[in-house]
Amino acid sequence: MFGKLLKYDFRSMWKQFAFIWPAALALALVNHFTINGLDSAGTVGETTAGISMLIYVAILMAMFIVALVFAIQRFFKGLLGDEGYLMHTLPVRPWQLIGAKLVCAVVTTFLSVMVALLSILVIFPWDREVVGELFRGLRYVFTHWNIQATHGIIGILEFCLMMMVSFATGFLQLYLAMSIGHLFNKNRVASSVIAFIAINAIVSTLSGTLLLPFSDVLSDIINSMNGAASFHASMWTIIAGELVLSAIFFAGTEFVLRKKLNLE
Amino acid sequence: MNETLVACTALTKRYGNKTALRGVDLELGRGRIVGLLGPNGSGKTTLIKILCGLLQPTEGAVLVDGQPVGPYTKSIISYLPDRMYFADWMKATDLFDLFADFYGDFDRTRAMTMCASLGVTPSDRLKSMSKGTKEKVQLVLVMARKAQLYLLDEPIAGVDPAARDFILNTILTNYNEEGTVLISTHLISDIEKVLDEAVFLKDGQITLHDTVDNIREREGKSVDALFREIFRAPNFEGGAF
Repeated sequence: MFGKLLKYDFRSMWKQFAFIWPAALALALVNHFTINGLDSAGTVGETTAGISMLIYVAILMAMFIVALVFAIQRFFKGLLGDEGYLMHTLPVRPWQLIGAKLVCAVVTTFLSVMVALLSILVIFPWDREVVGELFRGLRYVFTHWNIQATHGIIGILEFCLMMMVSFATGFLQLYLAMSIGHLFNKNRVASSVIAFIAINAIVSTLSGTLLLPFSDVLSDIINSMNGAASFHASMWTIIAGELVLSAIFFAGTEFVLRKKLNLE
Repeated sequence: MNETLVACTALTKRYGNKTALRGVDLELGRGRIVGLLGPNGSGKTTLIKILCGLLQPTEGAVLVDGQPVGPYTKSIISYLPDRMYFADWMKATDLFDLFADFYGDFDRTRAMTMCASLGVTPSDRLKSMSKGTKEKVQLVLVMARKAQLYLLDEPIAGVDPAARDFILNTILTNYNEEGTVLISTHLISDIEKVLDEAVFLKDGQITLHDTVDNIREREGKSVDALFREIFRAPNFEGGAF
Protein backbone atom coordinates (compact mmCIF):
# COMPACT_ATOMS: atom_id res chain seq x y z
CA MET A 1 0.00 0.00 0.00
CA PHE A 2 2.89 2.38 0.80
CA GLY A 3 4.26 1.85 -2.70
CA LYS A 4 0.86 2.69 -4.20
CA LEU A 5 0.66 5.91 -2.18
CA LEU A 6 4.16 6.84 -3.39
CA LYS A 7 3.12 6.18 -6.97
CA TYR A 8 0.37 8.80 -6.77
CA ASP A 9 2.54 11.32 -4.93
CA PHE A 10 5.32 10.98 -7.50
CA ARG A 11 2.81 11.30 -10.28
CA SER A 12 1.67 14.67 -8.94
CA MET A 13 5.31 15.70 -8.43
CA TRP A 14 6.06 14.94 -12.06
CA LYS A 15 3.08 17.09 -13.13
CA GLN A 16 4.65 19.98 -11.22
CA PHE A 17 8.27 19.57 -12.30
CA ALA A 18 8.06 18.08 -15.80
CA PHE A 19 8.49 21.62 -17.12
CA ILE A 20 10.74 23.41 -14.65
CA TRP A 21 13.59 20.88 -14.42
CA PRO A 22 14.16 20.59 -18.18
CA ALA A 23 13.69 24.38 -18.44
CA ALA A 24 16.48 25.01 -15.89
CA LEU A 25 18.84 22.71 -17.80
CA ALA A 26 17.89 24.18 -21.15
CA LEU A 27 18.54 27.72 -19.86
CA ALA A 28 21.89 26.57 -18.50
CA LEU A 29 22.73 25.35 -22.00
CA VAL A 30 21.76 28.72 -23.47
CA ASN A 31 24.01 30.42 -20.92
CA HIS A 32 26.81 28.05 -21.77
CA PHE A 33 26.84 29.47 -25.28
CA THR A 34 26.12 33.11 -24.46
CA ILE A 35 28.80 33.31 -21.73
CA ASN A 36 31.46 31.32 -23.50
CA GLY A 37 30.90 33.29 -26.68
CA LEU A 38 31.46 36.62 -24.88
CA ASP A 39 35.02 37.15 -26.16
CA SER A 40 33.87 37.52 -29.72
CA ALA A 41 30.58 39.29 -28.99
CA GLY A 42 29.97 43.01 -28.76
CA THR A 43 27.60 44.98 -26.55
CA VAL A 44 24.58 43.16 -27.96
CA GLY A 45 26.15 39.84 -27.00
CA GLU A 46 26.92 41.08 -23.52
CA THR A 47 23.37 42.27 -23.00
CA THR A 48 21.97 38.97 -24.25
CA ALA A 49 24.32 37.08 -21.95
CA GLY A 50 23.30 39.25 -19.00
CA ILE A 51 19.60 38.75 -19.63
CA SER A 52 19.86 35.00 -20.15
CA MET A 53 21.91 34.72 -16.94
CA LEU A 54 19.22 36.68 -15.11
CA ILE A 55 16.49 34.35 -16.41
CA TYR A 56 18.58 31.32 -15.46
CA VAL A 57 19.07 32.53 -11.88
CA ALA A 58 15.37 33.40 -11.64
CA ILE A 59 14.30 29.96 -12.77
CA LEU A 60 16.64 28.28 -10.27
CA MET A 61 15.12 30.34 -7.47
CA ALA A 62 11.64 29.61 -8.77
CA MET A 63 12.48 25.91 -8.81
CA PHE A 64 13.32 25.86 -5.09
CA ILE A 65 10.31 27.99 -4.17
CA VAL A 66 8.05 25.69 -6.17
CA ALA A 67 9.62 22.67 -4.44
CA LEU A 68 8.89 24.16 -1.01
CA VAL A 69 5.36 25.26 -1.90
CA PHE A 70 4.72 21.87 -3.50
CA ALA A 71 5.75 20.04 -0.32
CA ILE A 72 3.57 22.28 1.86
CA GLN A 73 0.55 22.13 -0.47
CA ARG A 74 0.67 18.37 -0.91
CA PHE A 75 0.40 17.97 2.85
CA PHE A 76 -1.96 20.82 3.68
CA LYS A 77 -4.42 20.32 0.82
CA GLY A 78 -3.85 16.61 0.32
CA LEU A 79 -4.21 15.45 3.91
CA LEU A 80 -5.80 18.30 5.86
CA GLY A 81 -8.09 19.82 3.21
CA ASP A 82 -10.96 18.37 1.19
CA GLU A 83 -8.71 15.78 -0.46
CA GLY A 84 -8.24 14.42 3.07
CA TYR A 85 -11.74 12.93 2.80
CA LEU A 86 -10.37 10.62 0.14
CA MET A 87 -6.89 9.98 1.57
CA HIS A 88 -7.98 9.25 5.14
CA THR A 89 -10.64 6.75 4.05
CA LEU A 90 -8.19 4.72 1.96
CA PRO A 91 -7.32 1.41 3.65
CA VAL A 92 -3.91 2.64 4.86
CA ARG A 93 -2.48 3.81 8.17
CA PRO A 94 -1.79 7.49 8.92
CA TRP A 95 1.99 6.91 9.12
CA GLN A 96 1.92 5.62 5.56
CA LEU A 97 0.16 8.75 4.36
CA ILE A 98 2.72 10.99 6.08
CA GLY A 99 5.63 8.81 4.99
CA ALA A 100 4.63 8.92 1.32
CA LYS A 101 4.33 12.71 1.39
CA LEU A 102 7.70 12.98 3.14
CA VAL A 103 9.60 10.68 0.77
CA CYS A 104 8.15 12.53 -2.19
CA ALA A 105 9.05 15.97 -0.76
CA VAL A 106 12.63 14.93 0.11
CA VAL A 107 13.23 13.31 -3.27
CA THR A 108 11.81 16.37 -5.05
CA THR A 109 14.09 18.75 -3.16
CA PHE A 110 17.12 16.49 -3.61
CA LEU A 111 16.48 16.21 -7.34
CA SER A 112 16.11 20.00 -7.54
CA VAL A 113 19.54 20.40 -5.89
CA MET A 114 20.98 17.88 -8.35
CA VAL A 115 19.41 19.74 -11.29
CA ALA A 116 20.93 23.00 -9.98
CA LEU A 117 24.41 21.42 -9.67
CA LEU A 118 24.14 19.79 -13.08
CA SER A 119 23.06 23.09 -14.62
CA ILE A 120 26.19 24.79 -13.24
CA LEU A 121 28.31 22.06 -14.85
CA VAL A 122 26.46 22.67 -18.11
CA ILE A 123 27.31 26.38 -18.03
CA PHE A 124 31.06 25.75 -17.60
CA PRO A 125 33.16 25.69 -20.77
CA TRP A 126 33.70 22.13 -21.84
CA ASP A 127 37.20 22.40 -23.32
CA ARG A 128 39.98 20.04 -22.34
CA GLU A 129 41.95 22.74 -20.50
CA VAL A 130 39.17 23.69 -18.09
CA VAL A 131 38.14 20.10 -17.38
CA GLY A 132 41.80 19.18 -16.81
CA GLU A 133 42.16 22.12 -14.43
CA LEU A 134 39.10 20.96 -12.53
CA PHE A 135 40.51 17.47 -12.05
CA ARG A 136 43.94 18.84 -11.03
CA GLY A 137 42.20 21.02 -8.47
CA LEU A 138 40.30 18.05 -7.06
CA ARG A 139 43.47 15.96 -6.90
CA TYR A 140 45.22 18.82 -5.08
CA VAL A 141 42.44 19.00 -2.49
CA PHE A 142 42.60 15.26 -1.91
CA THR A 143 46.40 15.09 -1.62
CA HIS A 144 46.76 18.32 0.31
CA TRP A 145 44.31 17.27 3.00
CA ASN A 146 45.59 13.74 2.79
CA ILE A 147 42.19 12.35 1.85
CA GLN A 148 42.05 8.93 0.32
CA ALA A 149 39.68 8.53 -2.61
CA THR A 150 37.45 6.09 -0.71
CA HIS A 151 37.14 8.57 2.15
CA GLY A 152 36.27 11.21 -0.39
CA ILE A 153 33.50 9.16 -2.00
CA ILE A 154 32.12 8.05 1.37
CA GLY A 155 32.29 11.66 2.49
CA ILE A 156 30.24 12.82 -0.49
CA LEU A 157 27.66 10.12 0.19
CA GLU A 158 27.56 11.10 3.86
CA PHE A 159 27.07 14.70 2.85
CA CYS A 160 24.17 13.74 0.54
CA LEU A 161 22.60 11.69 3.32
CA MET A 162 23.04 14.56 5.77
CA MET A 163 21.36 16.86 3.28
CA MET A 164 18.38 14.54 2.78
CA VAL A 165 17.93 13.96 6.51
CA SER A 166 18.03 17.71 7.10
CA PHE A 167 15.40 18.25 4.41
CA ALA A 168 13.28 15.56 6.06
CA THR A 169 13.54 17.27 9.45
CA GLY A 170 12.55 20.58 7.89
CA PHE A 171 9.53 19.11 6.12
CA LEU A 172 8.45 17.17 9.21
CA GLN A 173 8.61 20.36 11.26
CA LEU A 174 6.32 21.96 8.66
CA TYR A 175 4.00 18.93 8.76
CA LEU A 176 3.77 19.04 12.56
CA ALA A 177 3.10 22.78 12.50
CA MET A 178 0.32 22.34 9.90
CA SER A 179 -1.18 19.42 11.84
CA ILE A 180 -1.32 21.56 14.98
CA GLY A 181 -2.68 24.49 12.96
CA HIS A 182 -5.50 22.38 11.50
CA LEU A 183 -6.81 21.63 15.00
CA PHE A 184 -8.17 25.16 15.12
CA ASN A 185 -11.50 25.72 13.42
CA LYS A 186 -10.57 29.18 12.21
CA ASN A 187 -7.40 30.79 10.82
CA ARG A 188 -5.71 27.47 10.17
CA VAL A 189 -2.90 28.96 8.10
CA ALA A 190 -2.07 31.60 10.71
CA SER A 191 -2.22 28.97 13.47
CA SER A 192 0.16 26.78 11.48
CA VAL A 193 2.64 29.64 11.12
CA ILE A 194 2.49 30.35 14.85
CA ALA A 195 2.90 26.64 15.60
CA PHE A 196 5.98 26.56 13.34
CA ILE A 197 7.58 29.48 15.19
CA ALA A 198 6.69 27.91 18.55
CA ILE A 199 8.26 24.57 17.58
CA ASN A 200 11.40 26.42 16.49
CA ALA A 201 11.59 28.21 19.81
CA ILE A 202 11.07 25.01 21.81
CA VAL A 203 13.67 23.08 19.82
CA SER A 204 16.32 25.76 20.14
CA THR A 205 15.68 26.26 23.87
CA LEU A 206 15.76 22.54 24.59
CA SER A 207 18.80 21.85 22.45
CA GLY A 208 20.51 24.84 24.10
CA THR A 209 19.92 23.62 27.65
CA LEU A 210 20.11 19.85 27.14
CA LEU A 211 22.90 19.57 24.61
CA LEU A 212 25.21 22.41 25.63
CA PRO A 213 27.00 20.43 28.35
CA PHE A 214 27.75 17.68 25.86
CA SER A 215 28.72 19.83 22.91
CA ASP A 216 32.17 20.72 24.37
CA VAL A 217 32.96 17.08 25.04
CA LEU A 218 31.75 16.13 21.59
CA SER A 219 33.73 18.81 19.79
CA ASP A 220 36.86 17.83 21.79
CA ILE A 221 36.45 14.25 20.63
CA ILE A 222 35.90 15.29 17.02
CA ASN A 223 38.82 17.74 17.10
CA SER A 224 41.17 15.08 18.43
CA MET A 225 40.57 12.93 15.34
CA ASN A 226 42.48 13.24 12.10
CA GLY A 227 40.94 15.11 9.13
CA ALA A 228 38.93 12.37 7.46
CA ALA A 229 37.74 10.76 10.70
CA SER A 230 36.64 14.08 12.14
CA PHE A 231 34.67 14.79 8.95
CA HIS A 232 32.89 11.43 9.17
CA ALA A 233 32.24 11.92 12.88
CA SER A 234 30.74 15.37 12.46
CA MET A 235 28.57 14.21 9.54
CA TRP A 236 27.17 11.31 11.57
CA THR A 237 26.65 13.53 14.64
CA ILE A 238 24.53 15.90 12.57
CA ILE A 239 22.65 13.02 10.92
CA ALA A 240 21.90 11.45 14.32
CA GLY A 241 20.69 14.76 15.76
CA GLU A 242 18.43 15.42 12.76
CA LEU A 243 17.06 11.88 12.91
CA VAL A 244 16.08 12.32 16.56
CA LEU A 245 14.26 15.56 15.71
CA SER A 246 12.64 13.92 12.67
CA ALA A 247 11.36 11.04 14.79
CA ILE A 248 9.81 13.43 17.33
CA PHE A 249 8.13 15.55 14.61
CA PHE A 250 6.91 12.44 12.78
CA ALA A 251 5.44 10.91 15.95
CA GLY A 252 3.67 14.19 16.78
CA THR A 253 2.19 14.52 13.28
CA GLU A 254 1.12 10.87 13.26
CA PHE A 255 -0.59 11.28 16.63
CA VAL A 256 -2.58 14.30 15.45
CA LEU A 257 -3.71 12.61 12.21
CA ARG A 258 -4.60 9.34 13.95
CA LYS A 259 -6.36 10.71 17.02
CA LYS A 260 -7.32 14.32 16.38
CA LEU A 261 -8.14 14.56 12.69
CA ASN A 262 -10.32 17.64 12.23
CA LEU A 263 -11.20 18.05 8.56
CA GLU A 264 -13.38 21.04 7.75
CA MET B 1 -19.15 -13.84 8.73
CA ASN B 2 -20.41 -11.55 11.46
CA GLU B 3 -24.22 -11.15 11.34
CA THR B 4 -23.95 -7.67 12.84
CA LEU B 5 -22.22 -5.34 10.39
CA VAL B 6 -22.11 -2.20 12.50
CA ALA B 7 -22.10 -2.06 16.30
CA CYS B 8 -21.82 1.27 18.12
CA THR B 9 -21.86 1.26 21.91
CA ALA B 10 -22.28 4.34 24.07
CA LEU B 11 -20.81 6.51 21.33
CA THR B 12 -20.19 10.09 22.41
CA LYS B 13 -18.49 12.87 20.48
CA ARG B 14 -17.77 16.28 21.89
CA TYR B 15 -16.28 19.25 20.03
CA GLY B 16 -14.99 21.47 22.81
CA ASN B 17 -18.05 22.08 24.94
CA LYS B 18 -20.49 21.17 22.16
CA THR B 19 -21.80 17.59 22.20
CA ALA B 20 -22.60 16.16 18.77
CA LEU B 21 -23.40 12.57 19.82
CA ARG B 22 -24.61 11.46 23.26
CA GLY B 23 -24.28 7.78 24.08
CA VAL B 24 -25.41 6.36 20.75
CA ASP B 25 -26.07 2.60 20.68
CA LEU B 26 -26.70 1.31 17.19
CA GLU B 27 -26.64 -2.11 15.56
CA LEU B 28 -27.06 -2.62 11.82
CA GLY B 29 -27.37 -5.95 10.04
CA ARG B 30 -26.47 -6.87 6.48
CA GLY B 31 -28.37 -6.43 3.26
CA ARG B 32 -30.46 -3.44 4.38
CA ILE B 33 -31.05 0.07 3.17
CA VAL B 34 -31.12 2.27 6.24
CA GLY B 35 -32.12 5.91 6.41
CA LEU B 36 -30.22 8.00 8.94
CA LEU B 37 -32.77 10.72 9.43
CA GLY B 38 -32.56 13.92 11.38
CA PRO B 39 -32.58 17.68 10.96
CA ASN B 40 -29.40 19.66 10.30
CA GLY B 41 -27.04 19.54 13.25
CA SER B 42 -28.51 16.36 14.74
CA GLY B 43 -25.19 14.45 14.45
CA LYS B 44 -25.70 12.49 11.21
CA THR B 45 -22.43 13.54 9.60
CA THR B 46 -20.52 13.07 12.86
CA LEU B 47 -21.78 9.48 13.17
CA ILE B 48 -20.85 8.70 9.56
CA LYS B 49 -17.41 10.28 9.94
CA ILE B 50 -16.74 8.15 13.00
CA LEU B 51 -17.78 5.01 11.12
CA CYS B 52 -15.41 5.73 8.24
CA GLY B 53 -12.53 6.77 10.49
CA LEU B 54 -12.39 10.52 9.82
CA LEU B 55 -13.23 11.29 13.46
CA GLN B 56 -12.34 9.59 16.71
CA PRO B 57 -15.16 9.21 19.26
CA THR B 58 -14.65 10.94 22.60
CA GLU B 59 -16.14 7.92 24.37
CA GLY B 60 -17.59 4.59 23.37
CA ALA B 61 -16.65 1.99 20.78
CA VAL B 62 -17.36 1.16 17.14
CA LEU B 63 -17.01 -2.21 15.46
CA VAL B 64 -17.52 -2.73 11.73
CA ASP B 65 -17.70 -6.40 10.75
CA GLY B 66 -16.37 -7.18 14.23
CA GLN B 67 -13.24 -5.03 13.80
CA PRO B 68 -12.32 -1.64 15.27
CA VAL B 69 -12.04 1.14 12.67
CA GLY B 70 -8.76 0.79 10.73
CA PRO B 71 -7.39 -0.27 7.34
CA TYR B 72 -9.59 -3.39 7.27
CA THR B 73 -12.87 -1.58 7.95
CA LYS B 74 -11.88 1.14 5.48
CA SER B 75 -11.36 -1.52 2.83
CA ILE B 76 -14.98 -2.70 3.14
CA ILE B 77 -16.61 0.74 3.49
CA SER B 78 -17.53 2.89 0.51
CA TYR B 79 -18.02 6.48 1.64
CA LEU B 80 -19.67 9.35 -0.18
CA PRO B 81 -18.82 12.57 1.67
CA ASP B 82 -20.92 15.72 1.53
CA ARG B 83 -18.21 17.52 -0.46
CA MET B 84 -15.78 17.12 -3.38
CA TYR B 85 -12.53 15.40 -2.54
CA PHE B 86 -10.70 15.54 -5.85
CA ALA B 87 -7.38 17.03 -6.81
CA ASP B 88 -8.30 19.23 -9.76
CA TRP B 89 -5.55 18.12 -12.10
CA MET B 90 -6.87 14.56 -12.19
CA LYS B 91 -9.17 12.99 -14.74
CA ALA B 92 -11.99 10.67 -13.70
CA THR B 93 -9.98 7.80 -15.16
CA ASP B 94 -7.05 8.73 -12.85
CA LEU B 95 -9.43 8.30 -9.93
CA PHE B 96 -10.58 4.94 -11.32
CA ASP B 97 -6.90 3.90 -11.37
CA LEU B 98 -6.52 5.02 -7.78
CA PHE B 99 -9.65 3.20 -6.60
CA ALA B 100 -8.67 0.06 -8.51
CA ASP B 101 -5.25 0.19 -6.81
CA PHE B 102 -6.50 0.63 -3.27
CA TYR B 103 -9.86 -1.16 -3.23
CA GLY B 104 -9.96 -4.79 -4.32
CA ASP B 105 -13.75 -4.55 -4.71
CA PHE B 106 -13.70 -1.71 -7.28
CA ASP B 107 -15.20 -2.76 -10.61
CA ARG B 108 -13.76 -0.61 -13.35
CA THR B 109 -15.99 -1.95 -16.11
CA ARG B 110 -19.05 -1.11 -14.03
CA ALA B 111 -17.66 2.38 -13.40
CA MET B 112 -17.31 2.97 -17.13
CA THR B 113 -20.84 1.68 -17.78
CA MET B 114 -22.23 3.94 -15.06
CA CYS B 115 -20.38 6.93 -16.54
CA ALA B 116 -21.95 6.18 -19.91
CA SER B 117 -25.46 6.00 -18.46
CA LEU B 118 -24.93 9.16 -16.37
CA GLY B 119 -23.53 11.05 -19.37
CA VAL B 120 -20.04 11.56 -17.90
CA THR B 121 -16.94 11.51 -20.11
CA PRO B 122 -14.34 9.92 -17.83
CA SER B 123 -11.34 11.14 -19.86
CA ASP B 124 -12.24 14.80 -19.17
CA ARG B 125 -10.29 16.74 -16.60
CA LEU B 126 -12.21 17.22 -13.35
CA LYS B 127 -11.28 20.91 -13.51
CA SER B 128 -13.40 21.30 -16.65
CA MET B 129 -16.46 19.50 -15.22
CA SER B 130 -19.51 21.20 -13.75
CA LYS B 131 -20.35 20.73 -10.08
CA GLY B 132 -23.16 18.32 -10.94
CA THR B 133 -20.89 16.22 -13.15
CA LYS B 134 -18.24 16.03 -10.42
CA GLU B 135 -20.91 14.81 -8.02
CA LYS B 136 -21.81 12.12 -10.52
CA VAL B 137 -18.16 11.04 -10.79
CA GLN B 138 -17.98 10.76 -7.01
CA LEU B 139 -21.18 8.71 -6.98
CA VAL B 140 -19.76 6.42 -9.68
CA LEU B 141 -16.58 5.87 -7.64
CA VAL B 142 -18.57 4.97 -4.54
CA MET B 143 -21.18 2.76 -6.19
CA ALA B 144 -18.78 0.87 -8.49
CA ARG B 145 -17.41 -0.87 -5.40
CA LYS B 146 -18.82 -4.12 -4.11
CA ALA B 147 -18.57 -2.86 -0.54
CA GLN B 148 -20.00 -4.30 2.67
CA LEU B 149 -21.11 -0.92 3.93
CA TYR B 150 -22.01 2.16 1.90
CA LEU B 151 -22.03 5.40 3.87
CA LEU B 152 -23.80 8.05 1.82
CA ASP B 153 -23.81 11.46 3.47
CA GLU B 154 -26.62 13.61 2.05
CA PRO B 155 -26.34 12.24 -1.49
CA ILE B 156 -29.43 14.10 -2.69
CA ALA B 157 -29.26 17.32 -0.71
CA GLY B 158 -27.83 19.68 -3.30
CA VAL B 159 -29.63 18.58 -6.46
CA ASP B 160 -32.99 19.19 -8.11
CA PRO B 161 -35.82 16.66 -7.70
CA ALA B 162 -35.31 15.13 -11.15
CA ALA B 163 -31.64 14.45 -10.40
CA ARG B 164 -32.63 12.96 -7.02
CA ASP B 165 -34.49 10.12 -8.70
CA PHE B 166 -31.55 9.64 -11.01
CA ILE B 167 -29.13 9.38 -8.07
CA LEU B 168 -31.38 7.10 -6.03
CA ASN B 169 -31.84 4.89 -9.05
CA THR B 170 -28.07 4.68 -9.54
CA ILE B 171 -27.65 3.69 -5.90
CA LEU B 172 -30.41 1.09 -6.01
CA THR B 173 -29.30 -0.57 -9.21
CA ASN B 174 -25.63 -0.73 -8.28
CA TYR B 175 -25.18 -1.50 -4.59
CA ASN B 176 -23.93 -4.85 -3.40
CA GLU B 177 -27.06 -6.61 -2.17
CA GLU B 178 -25.24 -8.45 0.59
CA GLY B 179 -24.02 -5.10 1.87
CA THR B 180 -25.81 -2.41 3.81
CA VAL B 181 -26.48 1.12 2.63
CA LEU B 182 -26.70 3.88 5.22
CA ILE B 183 -28.12 7.08 3.72
CA SER B 184 -28.21 10.24 5.78
CA THR B 185 -30.71 12.87 4.78
CA HIS B 186 -33.37 15.27 5.91
CA LEU B 187 -35.32 14.86 2.65
CA ILE B 188 -37.29 11.83 3.69
CA SER B 189 -40.21 11.80 1.30
CA ASP B 190 -37.79 11.27 -1.59
CA ILE B 191 -36.15 8.19 -0.17
CA GLU B 192 -38.84 6.67 2.02
CA LYS B 193 -39.95 4.22 -0.64
CA VAL B 194 -36.51 2.61 -0.87
CA LEU B 195 -35.77 2.28 2.86
CA ASP B 196 -35.92 -0.95 4.87
CA GLU B 197 -35.10 0.69 8.19
CA ALA B 198 -35.12 4.17 9.62
CA VAL B 199 -32.92 5.63 12.37
CA PHE B 200 -34.10 8.94 13.83
CA LEU B 201 -31.36 11.10 15.26
CA LYS B 202 -32.23 14.09 17.43
CA ASP B 203 -29.72 16.23 19.30
CA GLY B 204 -27.12 13.48 19.08
CA GLN B 205 -29.39 10.74 20.40
CA ILE B 206 -31.25 7.97 18.63
CA THR B 207 -34.94 8.43 19.30
CA LEU B 208 -36.20 5.65 17.03
CA HIS B 209 -34.73 2.70 15.16
CA ASP B 210 -37.11 0.27 13.48
CA THR B 211 -38.10 -1.17 10.14
CA VAL B 212 -40.13 1.11 7.95
CA ASP B 213 -42.96 -1.45 7.82
CA ASN B 214 -43.17 -1.58 11.61
CA ILE B 215 -43.24 2.19 11.86
CA ARG B 216 -46.05 2.47 9.33
CA GLU B 217 -48.03 -0.29 11.00
CA ARG B 218 -47.59 0.97 14.55
CA GLU B 219 -47.97 4.68 13.90
CA GLY B 220 -50.45 4.44 11.07
CA LYS B 221 -48.56 7.03 9.08
CA SER B 222 -45.59 7.36 6.74
CA VAL B 223 -42.05 7.80 8.06
CA ASP B 224 -42.05 11.26 6.50
CA ALA B 225 -45.20 12.25 8.40
CA LEU B 226 -43.79 10.85 11.65
CA PHE B 227 -40.53 12.69 11.06
CA ARG B 228 -42.33 15.99 10.54
CA GLU B 229 -44.29 15.40 13.71
CA ILE B 230 -41.25 14.60 15.85
CA PHE B 231 -38.95 17.25 14.49
CA ARG B 232 -41.46 20.03 13.95
CA ALA B 233 -39.92 23.30 15.03
CA PRO B 234 -41.86 24.72 17.97
CA ASN B 235 -44.06 27.51 16.71
CA PHE B 236 -42.84 30.92 17.59
CA GLU B 237 -45.66 32.45 19.53
CA GLY B 238 -45.09 36.12 19.53
CA GLY B 239 -46.20 37.72 22.74
CA ALA B 240 -47.96 41.02 22.95
CA PHE B 241 -45.83 44.08 23.02
